[in-house]
Amino acid sequence: MSRRPPRGEYIETDTGNKVARKATLVGTQNIMLGGKTVIQPDVMIRGDLARTIPPAQSASGGPANNTAVAIGRYCFLSRGCCLRPPGRMYKGVFTFMPLRLGDHVFVGPGTVVQAAQIGNHVHIGGKVVIGEFAIIKDYVKVLDGSVVPPNMVIPSFSIVAGQPARIIGEIPEGGIEAFELRDLYKTVGNNPQPTAP
Amino acid sequence: MSSATPSPVPSSAHGHHKRHSILPAVSQSGPKPPVQFSSSCTIADSALLTGPHTIIVSTESVIHPRARLESLGGRVTVGRRCIVHERACLGAADLQGRYHKGSPDKEGRSMGAVTLGDYVTVEVGAQVESGGTVIGEGTTVGIGTRVGAGAIVGKHCTLTANSTVAAGEVIPDYTVIYSNGLRRIDRRGVSDLKNKAQARQIDVLRRMIPSNPGKFQ
Repeated sequence: MSRRPPRGEYIETDTGNKVARKATLVGTQNIMLGGKTVIQPDVMIRGDLARTIPPAQSASGGPANNTAVAIGRYCFLSRGCCLRPPGRMYKGVFTFMPLRLGDHVFVGPGTVVQAAQIGNHVHIGGKVVIGEFAIIKDYVKVLDGSVVPPNMVIPSFSIVAGQPARIIGEIPEGGIEAFELRDLYKTVGNNPQPTAP
Repeated sequence: MSSATPSPVPSSAHGHHKRHSILPAVSQSGPKPPVQFSSSCTIADSALLTGPHTIIVSTESVIHPRARLESLGGRVTVGRRCIVHERACLGAADLQGRYHKGSPDKEGRSMGAVTLGDYVTVEVGAQVESGGTVIGEGTTVGIGTRVGAGAIVGKHCTLTANSTVAAGEVIPDYTVIYSNGLRRIDRRGVSDLKNKAQARQIDVLRRMIPSNPGKFQ
């Protein structure tokens, strides 16, 4: 009599994404994961809030690729965070715009992200609120509890904190390696590897 | 190294039918409340309505998935053309876990737990405590904001993200609460434009969010 192995906490796809079974993903056909991304339990991603105005009328027909949330490689979405596309009035109609995350983005627990675009190697702390249509460039560190107001643009290599968020510092020369999330990816999942000494 | 081709989120582990969402079941804790829904309101299927008292949702209001409406302290009234985002809670307990009941008003009628005026937006994760809390018309309760029990928030106010309104506090109309508790008055005069924009947003949301009011009736 064979026993099925117990169901793990995460679903692991062939591209290496680890999605927790207890995460709430609404509208999954509009959510694109880059690969090797971790989605922890209690994360909520609103893929159903997709763009209503198609970007271009395709002559060949067929369903348009209507991405609501696009996430890059090696991203890490901690517990309880919420990713939701920003929306605004465009040409007289209210529409949602896609939310794009780059590679190696760490989103802390309890954070709400409504940005338009987040670059590569960004570390966002816990309980952060990123307002609608904010743009965060590469190698940025957003400290815990900050509130990034809507439409703010955060330049590369900055450290941002406060309510409303202000640039309080710069990433030092040797601080770039801290943004890599490959090791963190290995420690999570159904077969977690211990962190390297 | 393999190229980074984006892949859609995995649907079913067995691969037959394509699941459109991963929505873990939330157990219905607590009693099923009596409800009065307008015919044109949009209630997402995974909204959470609990409590013994009535929950009223008026014309063209939108309740996003995973929003909580708790009537444990009294009746919850949502006005016309309101939007309640996911993980927001109307009628929440206070930080000690108590559900306030709210003292009766001047005519002696009991105040409901939470009353939202028309055109109110309650954003992601906001907690509006029960106990006679009134949110005036056109107000935006920002992300993660906590409105204390019995607070009376005026019309067309803006409570920005992570702000707090103390219990029993009265906020005048057109106030903006920002940064760490700073206040100022909004003199832009854009209330009508905001209401029109909210109506347009509701038109779009009504088509995007599949409504299932029958589940709660």
